[in-house]
Amino acid sequence: MRAYIVRRLIYAVLTFVGITVATFALIHSVPGDPVTLYSGRLHASPAVIEAIRREHHLDEPLPAQYLHWLRGVVSLDFGRSIDNRRPVTAEIVRRLPNTLLLNGLALALAAAIGIPVGLWSARRPGRLLDRATAVTFFLLYSLPSFWVALLLMQWLSVRLGWLPLFGMTGADYELLSGPEKLWDRARHLALPVITLTYGQLAIFARFSRSAAYEVIRQDFITTARAKGVGEGSLLWHHTLRNALLPIITLLGLTVPYLISGSVIVEEIFQWDGIGLLFFDSIRGRDYPVVMALTVVTAMATLLASLVADVLYAVADPRVRVEGRRR
Amino acid sequence: MKRSVGAWAVAVLLVFGGCARSEAPVVDATLAGDEPRAGGTLYRRLEVDIASLNPVLATSRYDRIVAVYLFTPLIQLNSELRPAPGLAESWQISADGRTYTFHLNPRATFADGKPVRAADVVFTLRKTADPEVEAQMVAAGFELLDLSKTRALNDHTVQVTFREALASQLVQFHNILVLPEHVYSKGDFRDDFNEIAVGSGPYRLVRIDPGREIVVQRRDDYWGRKPWIETVVLKVVINNVTAWNAAKVGEIDETMIQSDVWLRERNNRDLMPRLEFLRFYGLAYNYIAWNGRNPLFRDKRVRRALGMCLDVRSIIADLYGGTARAMNGHFVPEQWAFNPAVDPLDFNPAGAKDLLATAGWTDSDGDGTLDREGQPFRFVLTIIGGSPQALAIAQSFQGTLKKIGVQAELAVLDGAAAIQRILAGNYEAAYLSWDLDPDPDPYPLFHGSQIPPRGQNFVFYDNPEANRLIEQGRRELKMSKRAEIYQQLHAVLAEDQPYTWVTQPSLKWVINRRVMGVREGKGWGLFLWHPGELDWWLPVPTRGSIPIAARAAELR
Repeated sequence: MRAYIVRRLIYAVLTFVGITVATFALIHSVPGDPVTLYSGRLHASPAVIEAIRREHHLDEPLPAQYLHWLRGVVSLDFGRSIDNRRPVTAEIVRRLPNTLLLNGLALALAAAIGIPVGLWSARRPGRLLDRATAVTFFLLYSLPSFWVALLLMQWLSVRLGWLPLFGMTGADYELLSGPEKLWDRARHLALPVITLTYGQLAIFARFSRSAAYEVIRQDFITTARAKGVGEGSLLWHHTLRNALLPIITLLGLTVPYLISGSVIVEEIFQWDGIGLLFFDSIRGRDYPVVMALTVVTAMATLLASLVADVLYAVADPRVRVEGRRR
Repeated sequence: MKRSVGAWAVAVLLVFGGCARSEAPVVDATLAGDEPRAGGTLYRRLEVDIASLNPVLATSRYDRIVAVYLFTPLIQLNSELRPAPGLAESWQISADGRTYTFHLNPRATFADGKPVRAADVVFTLRKTADPEVEAQMVAAGFELLDLSKTRALNDHTVQVTFREALASQLVQFHNILVLPEHVYSKGDFRDDFNEIAVGSGPYRLVRIDPGREIVVQRRDDYWGRKPWIETVVLKVVINNVTAWNAAKVGEIDETMIQSDVWLRERNNRDLMPRLEFLRFYGLAYNYIAWNGRNPLFRDKRVRRALGMCLDVRSIIADLYGGTARAMNGHFVPEQWAFNPAVDPLDFNPAGAKDLLATAGWTDSDGDGTLDREGQPFRFVLTIIGGSPQALAIAQSFQGTLKKIGVQAELAVLDGAAAIQRILAGNYEAAYLSWDLDPDPDPYPLFHGSQIPPRGQNFVFYDNPEANRLIEQGRRELKMSKRAEIYQQLHAVLAEDQPYTWVTQPSLKWVINRRVMGVREGKGWGLFLWHPGELDWWLPVPTRGSIPIAARAAELR
């Protein structure tokens, strides 16, 4: 088991370096650099353009620029945004909890609804429940989120006035008591969480359904059922445990999404998160911000797939055996 | 042109709106008989988060929207965008036009109570002119500053000297938002003052919550005429639909709106009692740039012919609902440099075809595409992604061109990618827009010396007559003469068609009717000119949750 984890760790480091080199090359190969938008303005100052290029080493060859960047990262300094001079690390630390909260809640909600529905439909494939949920979830999946978000806002916030329009807290948040604060946050979370959740229901439901379906058809389930194991126990203990591997994979794959955030939802609800930062930094070619966000997302993805791999080993003894054999 | 287009625009408005508001230059929302009163909290919208509270490091006009409250510029621009007293009560310009002497208001103080001294002005000028400070918005206006001859003559008199005399220089002092040297000289100028502010403006900073809001409060010890409104909350709301909804429910008091909202909601009876819809023309226009280095576009007859294939009237009627003006030439009617005698190009594809034939472009091989010396007339029109309007205009243009045998291909690029190619001269034609400065000097755009990388003359326009007029215009200190020169230049540019000028779109705004004293300035709309937003007032100081919000603002 330990050798397995060590080997995975070495892969992870190599992958990490590969990802940063690739991202660095990619973002620099996109036409335009951080001063392009400025230099297109009326009365741009050539002296200022040159100063910005020099300060951010944009006038040096790419490998040198990468080394400058790497030197900072090793000491956990992602530099400052070229756009607004905010320290990139602090900016990410400020925004990341907001995105994690929003996307984490949406993911948990989608999993909490989608997985049981999927397992349940796998038990009786083709029946009414299976078909009804499939149609409903796919219908939801196909609705564009900006449209749903604006529709929800129009009805629940503008017409009925039940929920706040935008933002993460109300104007009087600081004056509220503990439970009131919680309520205020919940009200602000409601619309963005709904918008992020409905589309994922189909993914979780269909994924867990097909995983469970594979298991349910196998002989040992028939045997268990023949032995008189109850339907509930059959589903939760016998089926779910065996269907866990693909579900773990799915959860591992959703982690980058947890961190990178959603531009559309964050913009519409003015949620001060990572999605907007990512979008703006790419559009403005704000290299330090793009690189930092890529690194953070890459690390989280690697960590998640590492955890998923370890969880495989926990869930499935065959993975462990294979690891030891090498 | 002014008269005919104006009358035409009004006619379109009447068709669309029935009871359209007349285009009076001043829109005064003040109720008759109401006296302005002090107090209240105003909620404004910021379309993007600001980059810095340090006005020297501003990167967009949004930084300026906040800075107006916290800082006072050396000179103000009034509703006509002409220089007016700011921190300087008066000034003299030397006979050679190179030296400016400013007399500061002796009562002026910073928010920390210290007086504003001439040395503070010199400090701010030095920071602005230093390329290493990277003063993106303002540095270009002070590149000719002669620092060795710029100094404080006494506590309240500053002498500023330039290496050359330029007529456009005075207006640039509007961008000098004076910083207290005793505060901003301690620490890292570029990193330590982005979230704090000590200025000589009528408000002081209460709180900044990056990405969310900025709260400012009126200074009791303000040295000038105090504004009415007690607290201003500037909320960052990026999405336009969200902002429109927020204005509807009264969560923000003003926002820019898109043309579709303007056309759809302007006569909505439910909204009328609460929201006022305003529209005005800004210093901006859309145009098609023709790469003058490309053999296709070297001939001005060709550029004119292509321009005649753009159906600007239909574009204005269909895409803008009549809320834009046809343009021809670099200056807009809000500028004194504008030449009203220049008419927009007529939409005339048949005439365009004839004109192209005189330039040698005919369909000699009968394949439906014009050709000359075996070369077919084919080009790529670059547009910047994200604007459905730009795409629709380009597509309509493409359709008309095809009918006369010119093949235009559309390339949609993102902003930075497009600008990089265009500035490198690596494009054929591009649909773009300009935001103009209050001073009309077009030197960086059309002077022959300003081709990239020096300036933004990326159409590679180089006409000796235009060059001469541009040089004269920026040196002529007498206003009336200068206007004459630019009006001549306007005609020359319209004749040469280095651009095909398309439209001057109008800006649309909604503002809550509780906000009083709102007036329109020429070219800049409702604010940023002086007094502009500093003259607004609120008749009822409380509204809904405002007392709590205001208290929260004070507590934090």
